[in-house]
Amino acid sequence: MKKRITHSVKLTCQTLEVDGKRVAMAVEGESFLTSLYHAASIEYPKFFKMDLLSKVGFIASEYLLNAEGKERFQPADDRAILLFNRNSSWNADTTFQQTIDNPEEFYPSPAVFVYTLPNIVTGEIAIRNKYHGESDFILLPEMSEAAMDQAIDRAFLDPATTSVLAGWVEAISEDDFEAFLTITEGY
Amino acid sequence: MYPRVVITGMGVVSALGVGVEANAYALKKGLSGIGTARFLPTDHLEFPIGEVPMGNDELCWMLGLPPGPTCSRTRLLGVVALREALTMANLQHHAGLALISGTTVGGMDVTERLYPNPLPEGVSDVHDCGASTNAIADDSGDFNYTATVSTACSSAMNALIAAKLMIESGERDIVVAGGAEAMSLFHLNGFKSLMILDRQRCRPFDKTRAGLNLGEGAAYLVLESETSALRRGVKIIGVLSGAGNACDAHHQTASSEDGEGAFRAMKMALDDAGLSTSDIGYVNAHGTGTPNNDASESAALRRVFGDQLPPVSSTKSLTGHTTSASGSLEAAFCLMAMQQGFLPAQSEFENNDDQCITPVTASNALDAELHHVMCNAFGFGGNDSSIILSRYE
Amino acid sequence: MELIDELKTKMIEALNLEEMTPADIDEQAPLFGEEGLGLDSIDVLELIVLLDRTYGIKIEDPKLGKEIFTSVRTMADYVAANRTK
Repeated sequence: MKKRITHSVKLTCQTLEVDGKRVAMAVEGESFLTSLYHAASIEYPKFFKMDLLSKVGFIASEYLLNAEGKERFQPADDRAILLFNRNSSWNADTTFQQTIDNPEEFYPSPAVFVYTLPNIVTGEIAIRNKYHGESDFILLPEMSEAAMDQAIDRAFLDPATTSVLAGWVEAISEDDFEAFLTITEGY
Repeated sequence: MYPRVVITGMGVVSALGVGVEANAYALKKGLSGIGTARFLPTDHLEFPIGEVPMGNDELCWMLGLPPGPTCSRTRLLGVVALREALTMANLQHHAGLALISGTTVGGMDVTERLYPNPLPEGVSDVHDCGASTNAIADDSGDFNYTATVSTACSSAMNALIAAKLMIESGERDIVVAGGAEAMSLFHLNGFKSLMILDRQRCRPFDKTRAGLNLGEGAAYLVLESETSALRRGVKIIGVLSGAGNACDAHHQTASSEDGEGAFRAMKMALDDAGLSTSDIGYVNAHGTGTPNNDASESAALRRVFGDQLPPVSSTKSLTGHTTSASGSLEAAFCLMAMQQGFLPAQSEFENNDDQCITPVTASNALDAELHHVMCNAFGFGGNDSSIILSRYE
Repeated sequence: MELIDELKTKMIEALNLEEMTPADIDEQAPLFGEEGLGLDSIDVLELIVLLDRTYGIKIEDPKLGKEIFTSVRTMADYVAANRTK
């Protein structure tokens, strides 16, 4: 089994690179992620309900899949989604904790709690794109290209999987997040 | 041809007790471990939970570990299960092992015990899920590879699947995999906010079911290539013969009406094992007790098995839903059922629901010679997994 | 009338209906399903928290929630009849 990376996206809180090229972006009066959402003419109101980790993964995947240029939203079961990070759902965890900190104002938020599961971001990408293939969220002690590459190799052991959307998605705060996603095709 | 992946050790701790023997005994007798919270300092005593029947100090004493405010219960439960699994597989001193563990709660129990007071030094080092796995691995000192899977309630099963792939790909000969999850206020309150906790003991597949009971526990299986197990001369207790993971791609938390993801996962597991539906002697269902899961899973089971449905039960009626540990805990239950030749019966089932399968209960539980069993674990995010465990023959 | 506008504003905030204004929400239109606002089961739970927090109304059965949250109008009627604050 051979494989090759066909497309990649690198997103930080200030910059976006698609296939190695910087995407210029004017940000006025809204967050960088929301600007990217509008710039790509995405119409998906659920985006605004997502936690930060899902938003980061979602935006990165949108630009990645647009770069791929295939017809979008065609049901597929041959593409796996494998995401990785170190800090799991840190941002959603702290947000949820704030809803149960004060015994006088104790209103645990169901919508926030859901996102204290890091793998919801893989689910969001699968829902958006109608992907029914394998999905996994793996925590690594630190960012490791080698460990992610091995996991991609393992995903290809399943004969049903012909491509893998994979990468690192970390979201600590609005000004501290990153995503590095790739599409790897097997041949 | 990929190497055959066999199982040479298991270790478990749950509301049914500490160790394989205690759990198998309770499972066979249909004894439930669900009751009022004793160790979790919650105000919500109206929700029954399945706690491991020992406090942290007691667990520390049993394990010979120093108790203290930074000692996480997830870690303690993990260490209990890991030691038993390594002992059974005769791997107490065997350098170069790999551990893949599922958890979502990690060291949250420690953090929330101290929060919002300033956290003492070291707490942030045991909080996160990866640190929790490493702390469990460090007990043995023989692990040179760890990874943590966090896919909600299918975490531990996906850890088993990842381990199987590592062995099949030739990366490793032996991988220990499973999951550990302690009760926390964080997720009890979270599940309460989702309004899917039952105030009575949970009744999976029952028409009157009103939600789940949370539980806690840990379970690890030692997975090994058959060649390695034979070379080491260790007893083989089962085969991980098939695995499937698929995404429901329907909703963040709700399962689709026709159970598409679950259907695909079960089909994939059967294909991977090279078995047909008639080979399966028992299905340990995900069966949480929520109206949505049980109806969706039943629809998927009917799509897979048609009118040849094997006996099905949800052992969450005995242990509570051990969330990220449930996949490996219930896989261990399947191995016990196969080894000892019985069908695990559900407690708390009375009323048939047209939307649901009818589970095995004490009144129709029989001794059974099982050769292949299926075990399901589904997580929020639509992350659906299914594995098939077989007798080694 | 005031209560209806208040509910619309609070809903937009609680459910992160980012690109909507109160004027976009028809008080008679269904909140769930394709034709209306397209809210889902998690949104129901958030609305239950909203009623508890803002109006002191406790709803224990999520199924009951679905009836109360048929439209902004039914929600306002329920709040007016049951509010404790």
